[in-house]
Amino acid sequence: MLMPPKEIILNIIKELFIVMLLLLGVSFVVFGILYAAPGDQFSVLLEGQLPTAQARQEIREAMGGAQGWYGQYFSWLLNVLSGNFGTSVRTGLPVAGELLTVSLNTLYLTLGSMLVTLLVAVPIALYSSVRGHSVAISWPLTMLGYVISALPVFWLGYIAIYISIHGFDFFPLASMSRTPGENDWLYTLVPVLVLGLGSGTISEVIRNLREEMSRVMAEDYVRTARAKGASVWRHAFKEGLLLPVTQIIAAKIPFILGGAVIVEQVFNWPGMGRMAWQAAQDRDFPVIMGIVLVAAAFVRLGSLIQHIVCTAVNPQGARD
Amino acid sequence: MKKYSQTSSVIEDFSKLPFWQKYAVVDLIYVGYGLLIVALVLLSYILGMFNWLPHDPQQINMDMLMAPPATADYLLGTDFMGRDILSRLIMGIQAYFLPGLLAISISLSGGILLGVVAGYRGGTIETIITYFTNLVDSFPRLVLILLVIAAFKPDIYYIMVVMGITGVPAVATAIANKIRFLAQKNFIEAAIALGLRTRVIIVKHILWYNCRALLIIQATLGMGEAILLETSLSYLGFGVQEPEPSWGNMVQSGANYFLQGNFWPSTAPALAILFTILGFNLLGDGLNNILEDKRDK
Repeated sequence: MLMPPKEIILNIIKELFIVMLLLLGVSFVVFGILYAAPGDQFSVLLEGQLPTAQARQEIREAMGGAQGWYGQYFSWLLNVLSGNFGTSVRTGLPVAGELLTVSLNTLYLTLGSMLVTLLVAVPIALYSSVRGHSVAISWPLTMLGYVISALPVFWLGYIAIYISIHGFDFFPLASMSRTPGENDWLYTLVPVLVLGLGSGTISEVIRNLREEMSRVMAEDYVRTARAKGASVWRHAFKEGLLLPVTQIIAAKIPFILGGAVIVEQVFNWPGMGRMAWQAAQDRDFPVIMGIVLVAAAFVRLGSLIQHIVCTAVNPQGARD
Repeated sequence: MKKYSQTSSVIEDFSKLPFWQKYAVVDLIYVGYGLLIVALVLLSYILGMFNWLPHDPQQINMDMLMAPPATADYLLGTDFMGRDILSRLIMGIQAYFLPGLLAISISLSGGILLGVVAGYRGGTIETIITYFTNLVDSFPRLVLILLVIAAFKPDIYYIMVVMGITGVPAVATAIANKIRFLAQKNFIEAAIALGLRTRVIIVKHILWYNCRALLIIQATLGMGEAILLETSLSYLGFGVQEPEPSWGNMVQSGANYFLQGNFWPSTAPALAILFTILGFNLLGDGLNNILEDKRDK
């Protein structure tokens, strides 16, 4: 039974509206935390300058600081919506431009690592769900998954660096800031591999996928497909693989972004995580605010995509 | 009638079995290993609290730099400043143990409250709670913590409060789902029909009889996450500062020597992190298989 596309579109518009509402909430939380912080952004800005309290007060008013919290919030929100994230306290540069560069770097790192995770996890999950739960095969794989997700990712990073220096004779640090040349992808490959293997998502992807795949394999329609000689794979693909994969990836984006903070630190990768680390050390409010907003937007974008895939695969579900 | 008596005798047989035959061997191994780790962590915490250590964890010994493990008098060897690694590992547990418990108790109490309200009441308030959990889940945890560090100060208790709050959605969702499951089986309807008060139904019949296993599992998994987070933050330089030991800053300070080929000072704390988090995760999953999955099927 085909549903008219109007309902699907309405459903997606509704989801978009929820995403907007959530991002508004995110901006409110971010603002609230910084508003509650001892010493506002102005005191950080003015530290060591302008000795008298009178002068500070005047500057504050000139910068729009005396409007009460709601005034500050709305003027800040309007600025953010028009793409103005303020200027970094540390570098004095506008945050928005820098944020764009570093978020692209982080996007590259996280998307690459998700690909690595899937390339490892999907075959293992498929193999063990199709072969049944033979302990001899699935147990070592499960155990490996557990061990990998408990490994501290920074230590895994050191091992990777050590191996690439001593085994392959190249130095994977400061990869992005080098002058572009040949074999660039090789330098970026090591951090991507480390995050993909070490972020701790592999074991969950395997477990989740194996359960879903085994469940779908036992469904009547798969049995029917098998009985009449149709491709089992084609019938099980959507529900058994596509849905669980998008679901778990969307749910794990915050986790992978968190792992990216550490991997970027280990490999000197000029991404959002490293910038957030620097900003946290300098109490660089405009920068850290911008990063949290962009990261939350990534997370919501991921779940929006997941919702769209879900609706496309199962339009019936959009009615509820 | 015969059918019923057959089923009940099967159940009786099952409950008479000794526990190692009742459950999968793998799950029992997981739980056993996890309990061993919990006991070791507890023991080390107490040892560290009273300073019953083989050496002073900050005692520098220039004659014994980078001693390998199993050196006489230094069971796990020494680091690049000749400090006893075993003592530093034991002392490092102080960095996460109490903060971790704080984070877990915040996650559990917040999660119980929201989960019960969402699952039992439903309606508008459930929508609001769903909004809240989605909102909290929008933040990458580590990035949110960096924001809090920038706003306040790199204090482990602030960090663990944030960690506790970000752990609320998982617990709340699990409890709300459990309540929905019970409602579906007419469990709650039956309790209401028996004339039990709402408070008794929620506290005794829902939370105590049906959710305690789930809460224990959430707590163990939460401790694993707290350790991961504390070690990550002290690795990043926001947690415990040198010379105070914490597993994260031990890995970090050993890093330069690691790249020169002296693996041990950095690897020992990394292995401690690995085995401990593995223990908590296996304990949580093993308990989940034993206590939860079997009963719901």
